[in-house]
Amino acid sequence: MSLDKMLQKISVRSPWLFRINAGSCNGCDVELATTACIPRYDVERFGCKYCGSPRHTDVVLITGPLTTKVRDRVLRVWHEIPNPKVTVAVGVCSISGGVFRGGYSIEGPIDRYIPVDVNVPGCPPRPQAILEGIVLARSIWLKKLGLEE
Amino acid sequence: MSDTLLAILHMIIFPGGIFALAVGFFFKGLDRRVEARLQRRVGPPLKQPWLDTAKLLTKETLIPKTACRQAFLLAPVFGFTGMAVCAAFIPIPGVYSGLNNMGDLLVIFYLLPIPAMALMIGGSASSSPFGALGFSREMLLMLAYETPLLMILLAVAMLAGKSIAGGAAGAEFSLLKIVNWQQQTGSLGLNTAMIPALLAYLIFLPGTLGVAPFDIPEAETEIIEGPLLEYGGPLLALFNMTSALKTFVLLGLGVALFFPGVISAWWPVNLIWFVLKCLVLMLLSITVVKSATGRLRIDQAFRFYVTIPAALALCSLILVWVM
Amino acid sequence: MASFLKVLFRNLLDGPSTDPYPMGPTFSPQRIRGRAKVDPNLCMGCGMCRYSCTAGAINIAHLPDGSGYTITIWQNSCCRCASCRHYCPTGAMSVTDDWHSAHAEKDKFNRLEQQTIKYEPCADCGTLMRPLPAHLAQRLYAGNKEIDQEKIRHICPKCRRIEDAKRTARRLLTPAPEPMEAAELTSAASTRY
Repeated sequence: MSLDKMLQKISVRSPWLFRINAGSCNGCDVELATTACIPRYDVERFGCKYCGSPRHTDVVLITGPLTTKVRDRVLRVWHEIPNPKVTVAVGVCSISGGVFRGGYSIEGPIDRYIPVDVNVPGCPPRPQAILEGIVLARSIWLKKLGLEE
Repeated sequence: MSDTLLAILHMIIFPGGIFALAVGFFFKGLDRRVEARLQRRVGPPLKQPWLDTAKLLTKETLIPKTACRQAFLLAPVFGFTGMAVCAAFIPIPGVYSGLNNMGDLLVIFYLLPIPAMALMIGGSASSSPFGALGFSREMLLMLAYETPLLMILLAVAMLAGKSIAGGAAGAEFSLLKIVNWQQQTGSLGLNTAMIPALLAYLIFLPGTLGVAPFDIPEAETEIIEGPLLEYGGPLLALFNMTSALKTFVLLGLGVALFFPGVISAWWPVNLIWFVLKCLVLMLLSITVVKSATGRLRIDQAFRFYVTIPAALALCSLILVWVM
Repeated sequence: MASFLKVLFRNLLDGPSTDPYPMGPTFSPQRIRGRAKVDPNLCMGCGMCRYSCTAGAINIAHLPDGSGYTITIWQNSCCRCASCRHYCPTGAMSVTDDWHSAHAEKDKFNRLEQQTIKYEPCADCGTLMRPLPAHLAQRLYAGNKEIDQEKIRHICPKCRRIEDAKRTARRLLTPAPEPMEAAELTSAASTRY
């Protein structure tokens, strides 16, 4: 195995997280914050870290139904993220539109514009379910690198 | 010629470069782990800084279209090199005596702001408004914490100069001589006149290392990591390594200035003793403070640094003068 | 100043309070709302759940041949408000405690709760209808002893009206030995649908 492959293989053990709020009601954002701030869930166990800049990101967590106002900004921030990246849609709003589906200001679910890899539905999802989603995102990241777990 | 070669080897392998990086990453990993424990969390594994670096090396590098390309690419290299050179000047008591034996305290004082400079250059070269904000904050903070540092170094140098050679030298700026003098007459950290300076040094550490509550220039929630905003991939890894080196350098400097005692004639024991002392300094001044505090505003941090640590260091300076 | 040090020291002594999940077991609170489920034996296809669903996650589609209907709950739109459970007249809707919801994108449209429910012919006239759930029939006709619950469950509303008319006629034609007791009347009247 070459050095490059070896680095890639261990790289999934430090997934840095980034939150994009695509018009969410903040419920899912609060649950995301609990995974980092409440000792019971402690997302840092997996080497995760919520970073402020999209340039440092590996796993991007999108919440909210993608409103018209925020669409272009979300797309712009998403394209700032260097490859390889894994997109996780958190909450029913970002997956299907949820209670806002069909609203006049809703540009529809996220996967209409962005290729989503993992879905974590819930309104909001349990923090444990989000942790599950992050672990799933790690295995998908490995697949994207051409390495199976 | 061979002296130059040896000096370069000292900068690259031991104690600069590779060794300092390994120890710095160990400190950083332990710092995160202990912080997690203090907050009743499990925390990341001890090798997390290595994993992060490996990850960052595999990521792609994006350079903003409007950035000044050369400065943007060279700033992290500049910072890393500066710190690797600086690490070679830190004496490890009983193991390694430092590079220059004439006035290395002054050299270290001039080399220490290099990572902050690199951060400022990189931030302003990235052409991001957040980079500019981070630039101004970093500069303000630097102005604030360099003053107490200068006074601490002066106090140590004057106290050493008074004793060595009967006060003929005035002030002693050779770190090696200071270390040797302390090994003979007792650590400065236990000297009454130097206790305020030690406290000032402990307060100075979190500010210059950019950890809470003084991580204002790289605040990720307010100015999305400021100067580091546009950096990603290997360049960010270089910044992280610089920060690890800086941790090693500052803790090593603290040990050399205040507690340079040795416990054995055999060098591996001394090395472990040195790392342990560094660890205690780190836990006291960085980890405990970091895990219990939030982030200050830049004006609060500025006011704090120009009053309390500066006053403590000045107190020490006056005590040295009077005694 | 010292109090925060005390807290930190106590934290260090107590050790981490982190759940081992997802590497180990975790707990589920008693009343947690997870996946919605529909019981095909109880569902009558009234559409109350579809009407009350906040997120529009429930769809009821009639089979093309008219022999039944398909009720579908899309878990990826369900916001776990449990309105369906609250408003379901027969208690067919339930919300389980299964909160494991993370899945890959390719399973997005597979996370369905789908039941195809067939109509049954009316015992009298043969019209296709859903039988009344037994527990509901028991509650409805608790005060009326002359009704055979098992029979009335399986006949359509139209035939039920005919049955009722027949019962009334029988009562009117045969002279009552004594008037009905007041207590019996009120108990019959207070049973709500």
